[in-house]
Amino acid sequence: MTRGYARLKALVVDWVLVSLFLLMVEFLVISFSGRRGPTGLLVSPEETLDLLHYAWIGIAALVLTLGWQLARGERGMSPGWSAVFGEEGDEAIPWTHTLRGWFTALLIELTFLTGWLITEVQLVTFLTQFNKATDIVRGLVNPSGEVLHQGLVLLVQTIFLAFMATAFAIPVAFALSFFAARNLTRGSGLARLMYTVVRALMNITRSVEPLVWALIFISWVGIGPFAGVLALWVHSVAALVKLYSEQIESIDHGPVEAITATGASTLQVLRYGVVPQVIPPFLSFTIYRWDINVRMSTIIGFVGGGGIGYILKPRVDLGQWGEVGTLVILIAITVWAMDIISAKIRERIV
Amino acid sequence: MSTEAVRIEGVSKTFDPDVRALVDIDLTVEDGEFLVIIGLSGSGKSTLLRCINRLIDPTAGRIWLFGEEMTGAQGARLRRLRTQIGMIFQQFNLVKRHTVLTNVLSGSLGRSSLLGTLLLRYSEEEVRQARAALERVDLGGRGRSRADRLSGGQQQRVAVARALMQRPRLILADEPVASLDPALRHSVMRHIESLNRDEGMTVLCTLHDVDLVRRYATRLVALRDGRLVYEGSPDDFDNDTFRDIYGTDAEPATGQLLGAAGAAGEETA
Repeated sequence: MTRGYARLKALVVDWVLVSLFLLMVEFLVISFSGRRGPTGLLVSPEETLDLLHYAWIGIAALVLTLGWQLARGERGMSPGWSAVFGEEGDEAIPWTHTLRGWFTALLIELTFLTGWLITEVQLVTFLTQFNKATDIVRGLVNPSGEVLHQGLVLLVQTIFLAFMATAFAIPVAFALSFFAARNLTRGSGLARLMYTVVRALMNITRSVEPLVWALIFISWVGIGPFAGVLALWVHSVAALVKLYSEQIESIDHGPVEAITATGASTLQVLRYGVVPQVIPPFLSFTIYRWDINVRMSTIIGFVGGGGIGYILKPRVDLGQWGEVGTLVILIAITVWAMDIISAKIRERIV
Repeated sequence: MSTEAVRIEGVSKTFDPDVRALVDIDLTVEDGEFLVIIGLSGSGKSTLLRCINRLIDPTAGRIWLFGEEMTGAQGARLRRLRTQIGMIFQQFNLVKRHTVLTNVLSGSLGRSSLLGTLLLRYSEEEVRQARAALERVDLGGRGRSRADRLSGGQQQRVAVARALMQRPRLILADEPVASLDPALRHSVMRHIESLNRDEGMTVLCTLHDVDLVRRYATRLVALRDGRLVYEGSPDDFDNDTFRDIYGTDAEPATGQLLGAAGAAGEETA
């Protein structure tokens, strides 16, 4: 049963890899064969993607994968097979002598070439067209004093915005992290369910960018710093739960056993066996998070979430590069200072 | 009044996927005994101790503690039964960042009020008892030190004081001196002996060291590959029986040597 499942896993991994390989080969062949589109021009990468034969490639890849897995005696193991079942035999064969080695090397090459085309890398433009950006750079190095005062005021708001988001995140993340720690949630079916639910919710929350959260909260509580606080709060909770719970998972289990053995209740075991071990790293993570939040809160204002980004965005749009320069320098100094302070404090704690 | 402290019937424990740590153990521990369990690292000694206070749930079999069934107990009932069992660990397992006194006080968690203990607040009477327990293990002046500032021998004595504070009827001691300098072993063992003799607690202790077994045990059992293979008096415990239990490669010449073997097996114990 488990053996069959492992084989299926190996098959799926191989099938995905071989499919990617074939797709990229076809993509590159079409791109370089100079095929012309309806306008008579060479087709763009997007149009090339449209031309790929996904279904046929998938089927071809499946056939190749099955062939490889059946013939692995002579051709060596496939990548998925070795990932699932581990290496066979003790001899270290150099990668140039195995099909898998060549396959992997080629796959990496293909990925790089395909990436070059898809992201439309233009080295020549990059190296020769600098003069178009001189205005901006000149503005950045010649900051204007006009927005200095307003910038400083909003900078204070930015730092407090980050602080409040962190402060609100601590209790929520602290409570949730115990449910998101594997070693504390093995006990009952309910605990395991809580683990899965909390983990899933936090992963979803974390994968949504703070800017998107800001948009949601701006419609909720209106434009202003509070929307920014809420946006960073949500994101911080998710990030801190992950860091906190991983810390809980790495504690020394000894004191937990000792306290459990005295007949203590679950809460007492957490208070005596777990909490003392995780407080210093929790503090360290929290300060680090505040540091990150300061950086994020500078751009949360771009969408109306308060802070210094609020006056930065219109000046970027209007091309007032001198004023933009002032604000960027203010942000840089703050981020740099926060970075040093938070590193120093964390050094002392751990 | 029953004189049975612990009664173990047909206890087996199988770990995933297929490790048989304990196989069909039958054992009765009389009230007031100092019963020593010996055996190689991995022979199931620690697992057996942890089955008794249910830190590990046995796969099969039943266990009674002073006539009450331990196996199957849940929630408040399990916690109440656990307050009857003190435990001393090879790695001391103190809360390192708490003070020595708080560590001793944590022995009374099972009977103290929940809110108070969560705030680390204890009654004057409890603090007095904890100080007395520290005096008993010759650490009277160290109550305010952080636990991890103490040496290994001192930490293990704090663990003994914690067990004293708990006022249990049974003590489980899992390799209590295997992590200690050989010179300090008697200082800890004497305190455990005192729990047995002066406080009337039954002691179930795993050891590696022949000298210590002969000196402290009132009865001796041995485990090999999860099975009970020997039971007898420590006086009958000679080099031949030792080889029977530990295998012919083992060297019972001195306590030091065996102690070293014990220390080498710390990770697996």
